[in-house]
Amino acid sequence: MELLPLSLILVAVLFALLAAGLWVGFALMAVGLVAMELATPAPAGAVFATKVWGALNIWDLTALPMFIWMGEILFRSRLSSDMFTGLAPFTRRLPGGLLHANILGCALFAAVSGSSAATTATVGRMSLPELKARGYDDRMSIGTLAGSGTFGFLIPPSIILIVYGAATEQSIARLFLAGVLPGLMLAAMFAGYVMIWAMLNRDRLPDPEPSIPWRGKLRAAALLLPTVFLIVAVIGSIYAGLASPTEAAVIGVLGALVISGSTGGLDRAGFAASAKGAAQTTCMIAFILAGAAFLTGAMGFTGIPRSLAAWIGEQGFSQYALLTALLLFFIVLGFFLDGISIVVLTTSVILPMVLAAGIDPIWFGIFLVLVVEMSQITPPVGFNLFVLQSITGRDIFSIARAALPFFLLLVVATAILTVFPQIALWLPGTMLSR
Amino acid sequence: MRKALDGLYAAALWAAVLAMAAIAVLVMIQVVGRVVDRTLVWTGAAPIGIAVPSLAEIGGFLFVAAAFLALPATLRSGTHVRVTMLAQNLPPVPARWLTAAVLVFATALGIFAAWHSALQVVDSWTFDSVSFGMVRIPLWIPQGAMTAGLVLFAVALADELWATLRGATPAFAAAEAGRGIAETAGH
Repeated sequence: MELLPLSLILVAVLFALLAAGLWVGFALMAVGLVAMELATPAPAGAVFATKVWGALNIWDLTALPMFIWMGEILFRSRLSSDMFTGLAPFTRRLPGGLLHANILGCALFAAVSGSSAATTATVGRMSLPELKARGYDDRMSIGTLAGSGTFGFLIPPSIILIVYGAATEQSIARLFLAGVLPGLMLAAMFAGYVMIWAMLNRDRLPDPEPSIPWRGKLRAAALLLPTVFLIVAVIGSIYAGLASPTEAAVIGVLGALVISGSTGGLDRAGFAASAKGAAQTTCMIAFILAGAAFLTGAMGFTGIPRSLAAWIGEQGFSQYALLTALLLFFIVLGFFLDGISIVVLTTSVILPMVLAAGIDPIWFGIFLVLVVEMSQITPPVGFNLFVLQSITGRDIFSIARAALPFFLLLVVATAILTVFPQIALWLPGTMLSR
Repeated sequence: MRKALDGLYAAALWAAVLAMAAIAVLVMIQVVGRVVDRTLVWTGAAPIGIAVPSLAEIGGFLFVAAAFLALPATLRSGTHVRVTMLAQNLPPVPARWLTAAVLVFATALGIFAAWHSALQVVDSWTFDSVSFGMVRIPLWIPQGAMTAGLVLFAVALADELWATLRGATPAFAAAEAGRGIAETAGH
């Protein structure tokens, strides 16, 4: 079959099945089946079994359940209330006041959690009621949280980067380190935007909080100390080459248990719930990975990714033109698809083309995460929006409007990262030189 | 029947949790062993050499077991990702038909997956395939766990289809409708 009609059929089948509400893993599987039936006499069933077994029976993927479990434990601990109490005294005098507690809180929690929705939920269920009680502008409270929640995927550990690393055989440790500086840059951009907004809209901000004596500040800071220690232990041990991502994650699970056990908040039932929750989230991701593994294999038989890559090579597009086109494509895709599905579709079809254009695969992983973060806050399908909907009870579209400035900042951050790729690549480079 | 099926799904989830916990425990042993050895070397003593043999392979196998055995429970808790936009905006009767059609399709794909995974187990059994590492584990064991998970998944999908055809709300749809913060936390 000709490649163009085949590609169009496959895209149509994929979108019809997804729109009908078939589970993403099954939709990917079905497209793989159609591709194999139309393009090759090879036995689809045997290819399915070997590809799925081969793609999931991978040591690197064990980091996934461990980091998810660590986040599930901390989600059920007292950390979310400690986070706000601990950060509030330090942000009260900044222009924008306690809105910065949202941004800093998300950046901190993102460093112990691999998920954006978990970050949004953990920080938001404490900070949103507090901000409301103190008279902060609702729209800014929700917007800062929706935007900052997306740090979860960028600042290591990151579920998205584990999935990308396992699918593309890139080092997960290097991907993690590549996310650190872009994450901090984004946090600085969000904080800067809040400060500028605060100076222009003084009337929409409550009066600053009363000052707290140094003793109180120290006590507040002490609340955050165990978490900071856990972050240093987990990310530091990966950076120093002392532990693989899985080993660091298991240390993280143990540390999370110690923290939540000693500060209270996690009982036996909570522990069982955290383990079941982690197993189910892992299963959800693994099922999509299984569908994607089969689709990747089937696409190899069709030859579509190869000829796409060859075509891009012949056109001689600049990298900027290619990345701009991809960015627009991903933003549109992100309106309807969740992040993990975007990543696996990318690794199945688009990656050979990206590599053919001479783009660094580690850098592209970070680019992909920024795009996925945008998809988390674009309606009608965006998991951060779903989380905020269940916390605030507002509808998806008004939350998305509040998040819009932060969506635009994400686009700007992506542009900066494209012009200065070293923001992502410098830190993993220093690790290798040891 | 209902009780037996629910018990089966719950048992499979617990098996998945145990596989996950086993990864944690084995990795912990490995880490502690390394720390002890380094400390011994540093103090001038001879290292004991505590290590879990073939951990990389066993970890991959346990990951497969954890991921696949949790399939039925993950389906029923509404955790598997799908686009619900169309289903939520249809009137009740067409929405029910759409759900039934999706479930027919999913059940068929589930049976396809389980069947071919089972054939792979038969192959590994017939040809005595084992893993490459120091500990030679017969591949039919982890592949069998994968097959067991897929078979139960197909059963759970048929179970949901039957509920929809009877006029009841399938478990996954009920869970999606009542989704709170805790349930979305993993995404």
